[in-house]
Amino acid sequence: MPKDFEQIKRELEEAIKKGEKETASTLTQQALGQGVDPLDIVQKIMVPALTDVGQRFQNFEIYLPELMMAGDAAEKVTQLVEEITLARGETSMSQGTVILGQVEGDMHDIGRNILGTLLNSHGFKVLDLGRDVPASKFLEAAEKENADIIGLSALMTTTLPAQKRTINLFSEVGQRDEYYVIVGGGAVSPEWSEEIGADGYAPDAAGAVDLCKSLLQE
Amino acid sequence: MKHTTRLMDIVQRSLNGPIKEEQEFNNDVTQGIQEKVQKYDIRIQDEHFINFDDELVDRVWAAAVEFLADCGVYCQSTRRVILHSKEEIESILETAPDNVWYGEGPDAVHEVARGVEDPRRPLLMGSPIGTAIEEEYYVPALISYIQEPEVDVTMAPSMDKIYGYDIRTRSPLEIMACWREIELTLAALRRSGRPGMAVTGLDNSISDVGQLSADGPGGLRKTDLHTFGIISELKTNFEVLNKLTHILYRGGIVDPYANPIYGGLGGGKEGQAVLITAAMIALNIVFMATCVGSSPTHPFHFNNTGKELLIPCSLSFQALARNSHLLTNLTATTVGGPGTKTLLYECVAFFIMSTVSGCSRILGPRSATGSITGHFSGLEARFAGEIMTAACRLTRDEAEEVVRKAYARYEGDLDKKAYGKHFKDVYDPDTIQPTGKWSRVYDEVKREVADWGLAL
Repeated sequence: MPKDFEQIKRELEEAIKKGEKETASTLTQQALGQGVDPLDIVQKIMVPALTDVGQRFQNFEIYLPELMMAGDAAEKVTQLVEEITLARGETSMSQGTVILGQVEGDMHDIGRNILGTLLNSHGFKVLDLGRDVPASKFLEAAEKENADIIGLSALMTTTLPAQKRTINLFSEVGQRDEYYVIVGGGAVSPEWSEEIGADGYAPDAAGAVDLCKSLLQE
Repeated sequence: MKHTTRLMDIVQRSLNGPIKEEQEFNNDVTQGIQEKVQKYDIRIQDEHFINFDDELVDRVWAAAVEFLADCGVYCQSTRRVILHSKEEIESILETAPDNVWYGEGPDAVHEVARGVEDPRRPLLMGSPIGTAIEEEYYVPALISYIQEPEVDVTMAPSMDKIYGYDIRTRSPLEIMACWREIELTLAALRRSGRPGMAVTGLDNSISDVGQLSADGPGGLRKTDLHTFGIISELKTNFEVLNKLTHILYRGGIVDPYANPIYGGLGGGKEGQAVLITAAMIALNIVFMATCVGSSPTHPFHFNNTGKELLIPCSLSFQALARNSHLLTNLTATTVGGPGTKTLLYECVAFFIMSTVSGCSRILGPRSATGSITGHFSGLEARFAGEIMTAACRLTRDEAEEVVRKAYARYEGDLDKKAYGKHFKDVYDPDTIQPTGKWSRVYDEVKREVADWGLAL
């Protein structure tokens, strides 16, 4: 017997929150098979589930492993929904493409991993360039991926100048206006963001997701 | 160089160990920690700041050794895992140093492995631990630490620029910054009348290029501490191993650190306790450390003075103290900055916890999370040293009571970014003495803490 939307919503939300990737995949396929609007799956099920997961991570009720598992489950849902949407000839439901990386000299990983997971699960396509990324690599990736947003992370005061250098490189080659550039990481302040001409700053991963959404809604 | 054979063994393991994708290794860390937490029934009682349960401590140790033997250390350069069996780990730990001298002549100090509730005083590395500052204040700010009698060894700040220019990693500018760090640090030691005091360096060497340049004749001395960080969690690469190799050939004191992220791959408090312990063991096994250190970090506030990190640190360092003779150190990273009571209360909690838990050296405080340019001063190191000295006479029960009182004073400030003031606003940079206002804050908190029963 087909499930009603409320039942699907309840079960799929639960599967995403628990990071049950296979269950989430099966339920999404069932929902799509029953004719549930793909947009409803994203907006009414996945986003609320991930918002809850993100909040629980902020409160330390869950930790990065659980967050990543929920992110993986949500990514699978997004992938299935995207396939259906594109097969119907409709436009992609991706919120936008974000390039992330630690600027040159910065060797940290985990904060950026948290952000990547959250962005992914909120429907963004994320390309993580990793740690210690030279300015030219950001530029190359932005062009290749037709990015919307470039996220520059610096956890050390001594690597802050590399954020400035990266933004300057985009300006020097005349591509600064092609992309939004946002900055974050432990060493970054709103004042620094303004000083180097970034388009935005967020103090934490959840704030960065909101920032990306608001920039692309402008 | 007596360590050639062992170094070659590590390098060969990094070249020939099992191949693994980094994400797969991350999963191994997460699953491995969770599995050991369950297997060894590691449960932390939320009401405590300091651990009292010795059986729990020993289970944390057993879990950490077994986890490290299963998981190993990941080499990003080769995508291979550096593995050591449990027997190898235990055998190497037997040969770890249990004491070391730092510095030269009358300024030399001796670090010895301590036990839980050990009455012997740990060493104080009074320092902003690499926080950046403008060149004009570099020497006076560093002297503000060196001149404090409580400070045994120090570590220079980072420079925000070199001769007015931005510093760039792996460029001549990084090498210039490293040499300038040495030049200014040695000048500060001489001006303070403590030329033989050991320093930790090189702070400005983000890459191996900087470390290899200024760690040599005319630069960082053999009697100094030669530091480098490994990559979180439990990872390395050739750049890190290059630093290690150079330090060993120099005959320097190997002083690496690992800073697990709370809520990260290790999960919550219990997982952190296992992960911190395993990381400290790995620093000796893989990185041939003379002394091993950590500053576990909160992912949102960038400090380690919150309750969620005090108790795992206490548990982990008690595990190290009870089950090994490793020379261990913790860095206090506070939210509060100079001029605030928050900073001093955070020092009370962290330095007492570290002292009674068996650390042999305590670093910092790294004020204002170490991320605000110039927000540090020597007065907080004096205060921390006084707290630490008094804490040597405390049992864990007594320590818990004082920490509880201090924590109640700053708990509400941890998300308020009480970063305080710049060095130039809390010290006279010419006389290098704290302002009256900052001194009064210090006096007031010291009196209050003394009233709690701490013999200051």
